[in-house]
Amino acid sequence: MTATLALWISILLNGLAQVLLKKGVGHSSDQGRVPASWWIALLKNVWVWAWGLSFVAATALWLLALSKLDISYAFPLLSSSFILVGILSRVLLGEFISWKRWVAILVICLGVILIATK
Amino acid sequence: MLVNSEAANMTETAQAPASTRGFQAADLAVLGSVLLAATGHIMIKAGLNGAASAAAHGSIIERLIVYFSQPYVLLGLTIYGLGTAMWVFAVSKRDISYVFPITALNYVLVTLGGKFLFAEVVPFKRWLGIAVVIIGVALMQSAGREGSR
Repeated sequence: MTATLALWISILLNGLAQVLLKKGVGHSSDQGRVPASWWIALLKNVWVWAWGLSFVAATALWLLALSKLDISYAFPLLSSSFILVGILSRVLLGEFISWKRWVAILVICLGVILIATK
Repeated sequence: MLVNSEAANMTETAQAPASTRGFQAADLAVLGSVLLAATGHIMIKAGLNGAASAAAHGSIIERLIVYFSQPYVLLGLTIYGLGTAMWVFAVSKRDISYVFPITALNYVLVTLGGKFLFAEVVPFKRWLGIAVVIIGVALMQSAGREGSR
């Protein structure tokens, strides 16, 4: 496997992991404070396990890619995961993303690219 | 900004959901998880810096043992773990398309930590990036926490 391929799979898995976590924990807009039983239930949640495994795999592939690639090349590409999570949350979770939220996502990506490139 | 988000809420339902009102535990958890992740990264870096000479020689396994026996590395990993728990909580309360981009603040904090703790040089372009990320996060706030479902 080439380093670039490992990098892109890592970015893809990293974005997917966040959407899997969201799928697992659901959406409750009530006030804070969750009971201990909520945390324990997460340990039996298959989506939460999928998040954990994706995250570990993404991190391993990231380290593998970084050992071959220049960090100033790899790091800016990470910002694409913000756009990826937007698309995946729309397609897989049905989250509605207003154009204002898309603008905010793109501005954040631009900032990360500026921070990460030489 | 306030006017915008209130207008957005009114178009959803007559009674705005609880999560669109004020600064709540979930918002604190988002910022807390970012802060803890950055602190964890910086502590791990401090621990690795300290172990660099001790781990200069030896196999990968020997080096890993040296790294993982550094107090700062272990403390950093613990803090990072706490940050992850806060993150899980925050994700259960907010859209993932809303909270995930905010984690870009992590780059801002790590850059500032590098400058002030490790005396790393931060070029102008990176300061510009920090400003742009902060503007983006502010835009995210003004765009509203909840999309219409």
